[in-house]
Amino acid sequence: MSSAPRTLPWGAPAAFAALALLPLAPFMSKYYLLLAFDALVFGAIAMSLDLLMGYTGLVSFGHAAFYGLGAYAAAVLLERGVLSLWACLGFALVVVGVYAFVVAYFATTRRGIYFALLTLIFAEVVYTFFRYTQTFGGSDGIQGLPEAMLLPGVPIDTPIKKYYLVLAYLIFGYVVCRLVVASHFGRVLVAIRENEDRARFLGYNVPRYKMGACMISALLTGLGGALYAIRASYATPDLMLWTESGEFIISVMIGGLGTLAGPIVGGVFFTLLRDKVSSYVDWYFIVIGLVLVAIVLFMPRGLVGLRSAFRLRT
Amino acid sequence: MDYLVATLLPQLLHGLVFGAALGLLALGLTVIFGLLGVMNFAHGELYMLGAYAGIALISVTHSFWIALVLAPLAVGVVGAITEVATLRPIYRREPLYGLILTFGLALVFREGARQIWGGDMRRIATPVRGSTPLLGMTYPNYRLFLLAISTVLLLAIWLFFTKTRAGVVVRAAVQDAQMLDALGVNVPRVFTLTFAGSAALAALAGLLLAPIFTVYPQMGVEMILLAFIVVILGGMGSMGGSVVAAFAIGIAQSLLTLWLNPQRVAIAIFAIMIFVLIVRPRGFFGREGVLE
Repeated sequence: MSSAPRTLPWGAPAAFAALALLPLAPFMSKYYLLLAFDALVFGAIAMSLDLLMGYTGLVSFGHAAFYGLGAYAAAVLLERGVLSLWACLGFALVVVGVYAFVVAYFATTRRGIYFALLTLIFAEVVYTFFRYTQTFGGSDGIQGLPEAMLLPGVPIDTPIKKYYLVLAYLIFGYVVCRLVVASHFGRVLVAIRENEDRARFLGYNVPRYKMGACMISALLTGLGGALYAIRASYATPDLMLWTESGEFIISVMIGGLGTLAGPIVGGVFFTLLRDKVSSYVDWYFIVIGLVLVAIVLFMPRGLVGLRSAFRLRT
Repeated sequence: MDYLVATLLPQLLHGLVFGAALGLLALGLTVIFGLLGVMNFAHGELYMLGAYAGIALISVTHSFWIALVLAPLAVGVVGAITEVATLRPIYRREPLYGLILTFGLALVFREGARQIWGGDMRRIATPVRGSTPLLGMTYPNYRLFLLAISTVLLLAIWLFFTKTRAGVVVRAAVQDAQMLDALGVNVPRVFTLTFAGSAALAALAGLLLAPIFTVYPQMGVEMILLAFIVVILGGMGSMGGSVVAAFAIGIAQSLLTLWLNPQRVAIAIFAIMIFVLIVRPRGFFGREGVLE
């Protein structure tokens, strides 16, 4: 029994097809293409966090570290002249994988608020290291990276190529998450969320399952970070600040826990909100904070959760 | 011996002073946690608001001492309003929602302070000047005053919780709010007043530390992580544990700065925290199984 409201089978392909056609729209300037890139990366990361929050019941306050490490991994290779996209992504997977394995190994022995705090503190260690030692550029990070190459001689240099790159990543992430959720493994995660002790009594190796969920979520997030470094041509320690992790959680909550599609919507909504509000007023954090408070108070199931609640009633 | 007096002793005293102030901050956090089950992410911002309210009041009244009384009261009122408007409706929800709600409140407070007072670093002139010869060294009077007032306050809070009826009611609410409700106590009011009190304590800590540290809108962000560490180390919901842990962290931090640079100290403190969370998540004095 998956508790996720099942979206109609054609819903996701239709949404992705619409996203693929988006650059054809006349209003999509270079600026909006890059904004769309940011929105989709944010959405994809929120979705991979949802695998932990919504399905396994673990709130990670340390996803910024996976994101930032992915970005730094790509940046370090690009800086040294290794321009292949695939090398950057592969290296990001290795770096994030090693770190995530350590974090997941220790953090999954705890649950609830202790899990949240363990992931937070681990991420703070990484942040402090990158921010205050000069090995990777200190507070400036690594700046001015060259463009990555999709294939030798095919640079990813225009906003439109970058946009399709992130769209491919989003679809890949969505398919992975859907497959995980629909699999036996995914069902066990939901069982752990609902009643961890009972899942243990049924003979499931609960820590192993939690670690698996952590690793999948972290690796997807690390890929997003690597893509962000390729798009922005920099990696800075601010990417791993704990408030960034908070913003991922916010996106999941805005969209709706345990829906996968919801957090994508939430991440996109959050990115657009931040961009739009900040272009009018410089106190946009107040608006974002109030939106967050309002969501917790009035629509705790999020944007997509709201829709499915409505559907149940009719 | 010279080393002891010249370096070790002042550093130890620094640690005690900082630990005492940190204790005030963490105490509010742990009481709120025990009572509402909420890890209050906005606690650091209440601490920050205390310092700014102090600056505003000092510019009006020209007295640090009047500000020291009025600023915590003002922030306490802000806390009470916040509690009634936002936290009260979500008492029965999962702790996760409280975490996210207070994260949002923290954003609002931080940006609000930046809008009102600007993003610059500010300082408060030390209200107690001079220094006193002590054990073969001289130590600033203000820090001695800070240590004294924090200790008195911590004692007063302890007496409040053990000797007064109101204190016993709060402890009873931590233990079993439903039972207390059945006994005819207005539990929501207890919650609101306790939240206001915890906000006032945070504000007090903010204003007391302002003459030593600098005041800026993000000042709460760094302190809140340290306060979380203290609360966990002491054991979630254990007030005595929080005070002990605050002194332990304060002293550990200032002694470590003798041998390590500040960021290594931060990492060392994080490492202690990770170790405690893994080996003994309930901390020094926490009850077993609380939210584990």
